[in-house]
Amino acid sequence: MSHTEQETTTPAWVPLRPGVLELGPDGQGHLLGSRCPACGACFFPPVEVCARCLNGELERAPLGTRGTLYTFTVVHQSTPAFPAPYVLGYVDLPEGVRVLGQIAGVEPDDVRIGMELALSVEPFAPDEEGRQVLGYRFHAAPEDDGGA
Amino acid sequence: MAGPDVFIVGVGMTRFGKQPERDTVELGAEAVRGAVEDAGIDPRRIEGSYCGHVFQGMATGQRVLARVGLAGIPLANVENACSSGATALREAYIAVRAGEHDVVLAFGTEHLTSRFKGAFTPNEDDLEAAVGLTMPAIYAMRARRYLEDFGVTREQLALIPVKNKRNAALNPLAQFQEQITVEDVLASRPIADPLRLLDCSPVSDGAAAAIVVSAAVARSLGNGRAVRLAASALRTGALEVEPGPMTFEPLTRDTAADAYARAGVGPEDVGFAEVHDCFTIAEALRVEGLGLFPRGEYLQAVERGEADIGGRLPVNPSGGLLGKGHPLGATGVAQVVELVRQLRGEAGSRQIAGAKVGLAHCRGGKAAGIEGAACTVQILVR
Repeated sequence: MSHTEQETTTPAWVPLRPGVLELGPDGQGHLLGSRCPACGACFFPPVEVCARCLNGELERAPLGTRGTLYTFTVVHQSTPAFPAPYVLGYVDLPEGVRVLGQIAGVEPDDVRIGMELALSVEPFAPDEEGRQVLGYRFHAAPEDDGGA
Repeated sequence: MAGPDVFIVGVGMTRFGKQPERDTVELGAEAVRGAVEDAGIDPRRIEGSYCGHVFQGMATGQRVLARVGLAGIPLANVENACSSGATALREAYIAVRAGEHDVVLAFGTEHLTSRFKGAFTPNEDDLEAAVGLTMPAIYAMRARRYLEDFGVTREQLALIPVKNKRNAALNPLAQFQEQITVEDVLASRPIADPLRLLDCSPVSDGAAAAIVVSAAVARSLGNGRAVRLAASALRTGALEVEPGPMTFEPLTRDTAADAYARAGVGPEDVGFAEVHDCFTIAEALRVEGLGLFPRGEYLQAVERGEADIGGRLPVNPSGGLLGKGHPLGATGVAQVVELVRQLRGEAGSRQIAGAKVGLAHCRGGKAAGIEGAACTVQILVR
């Protein structure tokens, strides 16, 4: 990647990894994937080329924030960056992508395969330069709107 | 694709286990000397070499060659996650098959105690690592879904390390020499639920080596101990277009299909297998992906003793990664060392009767969006 224009303003926050999420006008965040306009395949994290049809002109795809838990674990041994225990799961989003994330605010004994979860964009630990980092976690979904 | 036959004429390996007093070069040199001696070949006949390792630093293979007096020949270091050693062996196979060399040394070496403690994580740049993924967590999630989908129990899953450590106790080079029980597995400390410590392969130091040669060289040695390397297949995980069941491995299935086609055998011909049991659940996913056992039925087969030494299709007679140990870069070569020893009838108290076709499967690495980094399947025929 080339270094082009020097950034003159410091962003208010940086995503956990480049290009994986954004905040909407209402301040609510969502993940960003890639959609292939030719064949309809959707990918997360974003990719540059469609793995199904090799189309190189993909669209940015904001992803839905409700999904279904495919599987999960309670991590008891981890790295210093992630104090254990914590719940980690793969969540299937309506666009046909499976996203790994931590599941917060649910007792490990109450987590079930198939449960509905809602994604929220949240602060993670600041990066080495002290910048605010936004990541994401899943929470139990409110039951009022039926979900995805 | 047609091509000349390729043979393995010598194998060597060190003891696997925590050996902090040794180093990666010393281990590699011991394995290489062992393979040369086993082959009964003049080491000056070795024309090229490949070294598999993951975390051993720059020019690891060259340092090993210098230690054994073999400097000067072509060598390439190969990093392919847990399939590094298996990939080094495949490079040797390709070099002989292509007619570039007649005698090639493949080895893998890894001194992990000086590099790592605790749970491995994928590359830290990876998105999944950034939200807290560890390698045990991947397999824990696959295990949870497998147990739920196929209605098997946590206790049945524990039969895998019980079997593999029973085999390891018959292997003097294995890290673990003591048998364990299902109760021991369930009482070990939790790592990533439902997996516990005894569901996980250990941190190990070790090295393994093999001498790969052309048919002419195998004949010239004339000792009748050559084993044919009938296929050596490698694949990289595809980008996942749609999320599939995490209880099945298309990458393993597809790599095996390449190997079966090349070797001209099918899963029904395989007499025994060494598979990449980095975690208990992994053994089930591997053998089902390889087509050796029906999907979702492996744990019941283990319960019936079908995968035991003496069973219908012994799996991991060496002890596997769970019992023998898992020095990453050495693992794929060590699996083939076991295949060769079994096929020659030199496996001692863990000998499988009448073994004619052996299969080794290695698979490693993970990155967001792909099923797995690298998968190898090697088929050896006596």
